[in-house]
Formats: sequence, structure tokens, C-alpha cells
Amino acid sequence: MMRKRKLFLSMLMAASLSVFTLAGCGGSREGSSSSTESATNTAEETADETDAAEEEGDAAEETAAGEGFEADATIGISLPWLGTQNWKEAQDMFTEQLEAEGFTALVQAADQKVPQQQQQIESMIQNGAKVIVVGPVDGTQLGSVLEEAKDAGVYVLGYDRLIENTDAVDGVVQFGSVRTGELQGQALLDGLKAEKGDGPYNIELFGGGPADPNAPNFFTGAMSVLQPEIDAGNLVVVSGQTDFTQCATEDWDNSKAQKRMDSLLAGNYSDKQIDGVLSPNDGIGRAIITACEDAGQDIPVVTGLDAENESVEWVWQGKQYCTVAKPTQDLVAKTVEIIKSLQAGEGMPAYEVKTNNGKIDVPIYELDPVVVTKDNAQEVFANDPDRLELLK
Amino acid sequence: MKTIKQVLGGDLRQYTMVLALAVLIIVFNVISGGRMLTPSNFQNLLSGNAYVLILALGMLMVIVIGQIDLSVGSVAGFSGMVMALAARDYNLPWWLAVLLALAIGAVVGAWNGFFVAKLGIPGFITTLGSWMMFRGLVIWISQSISVPAPEELRFFGAGYLPEWGPTFTGMNNSTLVLGLIGIVCFAYFQLKNHKRQGEIAGGVQDPMWAVVTRIVLVSALIGYFTWLYGSGRAGTSFPIPGLILLILIIIYHTLTQRTTFGRHVYAVGGNKNAAALSGVNVSRTYFLTFMNMSMLAAVAGILFVGRATAAGPADGTSWEMDAIASVFIGGAAVSGGVGTIIATMVGGLVMAVLNNGLMLMGVGSDKTQVIKGLVLLAAVAFDVYNKSAGRPSIIGRLFGSGEEKKEG
Repeated sequence: MMRKRKLFLSMLMAASLSVFTLAGCGGSREGSSSSTESATNTAEETADETDAAEEEGDAAEETAAGEGFEADATIGISLPWLGTQNWKEAQDMFTEQLEAEGFTALVQAADQKVPQQQQQIESMIQNGAKVIVVGPVDGTQLGSVLEEAKDAGVYVLGYDRLIENTDAVDGVVQFGSVRTGELQGQALLDGLKAEKGDGPYNIELFGGGPADPNAPNFFTGAMSVLQPEIDAGNLVVVSGQTDFTQCATEDWDNSKAQKRMDSLLAGNYSDKQIDGVLSPNDGIGRAIITACEDAGQDIPVVTGLDAENESVEWVWQGKQYCTVAKPTQDLVAKTVEIIKSLQAGEGMPAYEVKTNNGKIDVPIYELDPVVVTKDNAQEVFANDPDRLELLK
Repeated sequence: MKTIKQVLGGDLRQYTMVLALAVLIIVFNVISGGRMLTPSNFQNLLSGNAYVLILALGMLMVIVIGQIDLSVGSVAGFSGMVMALAARDYNLPWWLAVLLALAIGAVVGAWNGFFVAKLGIPGFITTLGSWMMFRGLVIWISQSISVPAPEELRFFGAGYLPEWGPTFTGMNNSTLVLGLIGIVCFAYFQLKNHKRQGEIAGGVQDPMWAVVTRIVLVSALIGYFTWLYGSGRAGTSFPIPGLILLILIIIYHTLTQRTTFGRHVYAVGGNKNAAALSGVNVSRTYFLTFMNMSMLAAVAGILFVGRATAAGPADGTSWEMDAIASVFIGGAAVSGGVGTIIATMVGGLVMAVLNNGLMLMGVGSDKTQVIKGLVLLAAVAFDVYNKSAGRPSIIGRLFGSGEEKKEG
């Protein structure tokens, strides 16, 4: 028995030792990840330089940083989902343009699920991506994984939506979201004057998905134009719902917007005409128009956003008054431009605006959207054969 | 073949999924050019899936008693949101906010348990109601806007064990110690078990060489994973959410296999009336199982919020489905009474590795979803087919033993 016990003990020790041996195989901790080591160091230096530059507060200085990376490096693109046309377009354009520039494009979509997106970003880091472009499902919920990316020396760019609540973001490319809202509000006013005779006009307001940081900005922008008119009595919000939380549409879900419009019409418009509705995007706009048709109302002036194919047709037919085009092309082109600048070792390009994201001031690369009505549709889409096809 | 069987310790069916898991990991590692078996990827795998695996722990017990809980995702989202709001708007210290979230889990669990146990409403209906209620409440209290969570929670959701001690080990020493504890415990229990087998008159004692080989093999495996987790970038280690999961696994494995309550759970699931007649308090078992489930949902919610750094209005959406899938892939029976904690964890890991591997290969979430659906169906169909026909599993066939026939 004693002998056997000794045997166990020796086996045990052997087992414990095997751990050390295995550890030995891997060599030093730094050694095990030697391939990424140099990249990490470079990035750290880059970060340091950028920090130093930012302290000086000179925009020109900030652009001169970084040592670049290989011309065929992997670029990760993490999109929130492919459920609307603009994201599907972004997927195709990123793949096409990045491959054309010689990069290896890794484009994935997260099906509107935050954990899915977190894991996708992590797998992009694993795949050795040098830049990760993120169109977040929820801009506040990616802190840990983006910091992981930063630690691995990866540049993080926000795409279309602000990335909040983390310092691990190098810049955001988007259309000015407050500006977009202003354009929507102004278009609604113009449309009412053009199509519904003299005021006062009965209107209703819709907002986008509250988890998307752009949605409140659209609403704020639009209200900056509409509120003075409401105060002056030229516009009447019959339901009295003028607060963003009242008007928001969970998840940008069209069917929820349609239900809300149904009940607004049933509750407030049995003896009134509705003249106009502020809609934050095309899908919701079409849902609103459908609800109005179902309720036997004349089609009101409805705004939109994204220039989705169906809405472009509706604008052309005069069913939807306008949409606001945020050409995905421009957004993707600007993003690819930044990626090229990073690749060449020229650091982040100069920017004009910074926005506080709760942790740091993030450089914003803002683009201007375009209002599309029946009158200027052919002009706007002159370079877009697919959409031009719809205007017939 | 007999030799291998003796080393593995008799019951081979439970190794089918483990084998599948190992094959998956190796195949993905080869296809992805070695990106699967890296320290950072495995750290991600655990911290990114800990919340689902924790839900699966509770879900296993719910399914074993022959019920289902659809509300876990919503409850996880709700407790996480309350925690974030309490910390932000009422300036509660983070630990108090965490306790509040756990308390909410307990209260919700008691609510579900009350309707199931005392009023006899099926768990499916009760929790369908709670699912809607708490999904609505999350959106209501958050006003659909994400709420940043206290910094300290990051530690629970995405933290690492401390670095200390000598550097010649070449890895995170906390992870090393954890691995050594694991090996020592495994060896201790194996030897104790062996000794007990010898003491039972007429019992079958595995030969000593088999036990020793088993210990060496498992030690090597633990050693490998210790190295894998410990040798990542400095500052990383076996992740904290993984450690929390590990502790919970040990607790729930013991609870279900070694305690009276655990036996009651299986008895009620196997045959409710027989259990009641043998003196098992059925409604108490129902109540406690549901209460436990919702508390684990709160834990999952806390970990997720910690990792995400903010609580969002959509947190928890369809998490219950991932948990239920893990349990069934782990071989639990839809009719109740069958299933183990360890097998459920393996089932959950199969899903997680599948997800992770397909992502590493750049497969889109649409196709991933299709593949996961097929795997779920295949795993359950395989299990049901084997049981109904009384056939040995593929593994059983491989080893050509007569033992499985008795089980059918």
C-alpha cells in the first residue's frame, strides 16, 4: 500500500510538472505572440504620439503620426445588420472598394445583437485586422471589446453612428445627424407650403430607434426648425406628443411605427385631416403613409431618410414627399480614404468637429446629406444607375 | 479498445459531445490557420459566452423538472438595467447595485415560482407572461436609452486575475495556481473514488493503471488549458467571468448530484406522481428551481452589463433560446428527468465554439444561424434515435461493448 501511495505521489508530481513543461514550450509570454508584438509596439507609439499631439491642440500636428501597415492588411468591417438597404449597400461597397485598394476585407453583420457584434469584433482582432470599422448596434455597449482592439494595436473607426462610453475609438465617419434632422424639418415645412395650401397644418412627429445615438439628434435637428412654427401656431401637433421618448420607434421597427400611426389617427383624426408627418427614415415613412391610406386620409406630406429604392419610387410617384439621401457611397469612400491614410502611416486625417462620447472627445468626419424630392431626384441620382432606373 | 474504455471510466455516451467539441476545436483551428487555439481567442470565448452558460446552468434544472423558463433573457436584461440605473441615478455604490440586481432576480423567481408551484400554471405560460412583462419594463424604465454601468463591474464581465510572483513561469501565475488546484483536486477525487470502489464489497474497482493514466491525461489537458489561458498578453489570464462560471459549475454539479434537493429535482422530472408519493415536496421543488433560475439570470445580466460597459434596452433578447439550445445539445430530455450540468456546459461550449469558429472564418451571421439550427436538431435527433431504438451510440459501436444495450 505504501509503495502504491508513493507511486501516486510521483505521478501527481509528474502531472504538475507537465504544466511547467508545457509552459516552457511556449517560451516567454511575449514570445508566444511575437508576430503581433511589433505591431502592438508601433500602435502604442502611435497612440503616444497622438496623445502628445492632442495636448498641443493643433489639428495639423495630430495628423502626423503612425508608421502604417502592409498594403494587403486585413480590414474588419462590423455592421449592425443587413435588414435595410443602406447596410446591405455598405457591405457590398466596402468589400468591393477595399479589395480594389488591395486590402483583405472582412465584412460581417451582427443581426442587431450586441453580443454577436462583440464576438465578431473579437474574431476580427484574432484575424489580425489593422483597422476595424464599426457600425454599432448599440454605440454604448462595445467598451470592453474595443479596448481589446486598442490593446492589440488596432485602429477603431465608427461608421455612421457614434461610439460612446469608451476611449478606444479613433474617429467616426458619419453624416451630420443634427444637420440631417434640420433638413428633414425644413423639407416638411417646404412640403406643407407646396402641397397643402395655407396653414395652420396638422402634423405628427416620429423619431427613430432610441438605442441609436443618431435618432435623438435627428429629432433635435428637426425640432429646431419645427418648434418655432409650432409656438407660432402655424403647425399643430394634434396628439400633443412632441417629446422624443413619446415619438421614438423602438429598433427603427416599421411595424411599430405603423401601429403608433394607426392609433394616433384613430384617436385624434376622426374629424380632422392630417397634413404632414415628420418621419426619421424611409421605412417608417412608408409605414406612416400606409396607415394614413388605411384610415381613409389623404396622403400627408411625409419626410424620410436613406433613399431606399421603394421610397425613391414613391417620391417619384408623389406618394412620399421627400427622402434624404445619405449616399452610402460617400460614407464608404470617406472611410476607405481614412484607412488608406492610416495604411500609408499618415495617421488620422484632419477633422473639423469633435463630439464628446461620455469618455473622450471623438474626432468626427462629417458629411452633408441631400434632400431628394420629385423635382431634383434625377439630378441627385445622376451617378447612381440603379436608382435612376427607378425614376421612370 | 477495452483499454481505452477502462481509462475513460465506463460510461462512454457522455463522451460523444466532448469528442464532438474536441473535433470542432481542432478542425476550426486547422481551417483558420491556428487562430482558434490562441490565448486571446479562448479568453474571448469564455468571457463572451459566460452569460449564456450561466443561464444554461439554471435552465438545465428547469428542464429536468419538466418545465421551461422563457423569461430568463428579459429578467437578465431587467436586472442589469435596474443595476445600471440605481448606480447612475441614485448613486448607489456598485456592490449595492449588484445586490439589488440579485434581489430582483430572486423576487422575479419567486413570482414565477408562485404561479407554477402554487397555482399549477404551466411554466411555459407563466414565463411567457414574465417574458413580455420584463421586456416591457426594461424599455419602460430605461426609456429605451442605454445606461452606462459603474466601472467596477468591468472586472466581473471582462476582468482578469492579478499578475504576481516570479516571471520565469512564463505565464500568469494566478492562472497557473488555478490550474494546479484543478489538477490536484481531480487527482484527489479520482483516488478517493478508487479507494471507495475497493471498499465496497463486490464493487468493481477500475485497475490502478487506468486511474493513473486517466489522471495523467486529464492533468495534461488541464495543464494545456492553463498554459493557453495563462500565456496570453501580459495582464490577461483566465478571465474572471470564466472563474465565476467555474465556481457556479462546481456548486451546481454538487447540488444536482450530491444533495437531497438535487435528487428531488430528478425525481420530480422523472415521474412527478411517484416522487410525490415517495414524500418529495413537488411544489417546493418547482418553486426553488424557478427562483434559482431567475437569480442566475440576474447574475448573467450583471456579467453581460459589466462586459458591455452599459445596460441596453435590448439586452437579453433571445438569450433564453441560446440557453435552452445548450441544455438540449447537452443531451437533456424534453420530457424531463434527464440531463447533467457538465453535459449542458459541453453543449453550450459546442454552440459557442461553432459560433466563434465560423466567425473566425468570416462566415456571416445568417449562415451561422442556419448551421447552429441544424446542429441543434442533429444533436437531439441523434440522442432520441439512440434511446428509442435501444442502440449503442456511434461511440458505443466503435468500442463494440455490450454495456450500452442494458441502458436502452
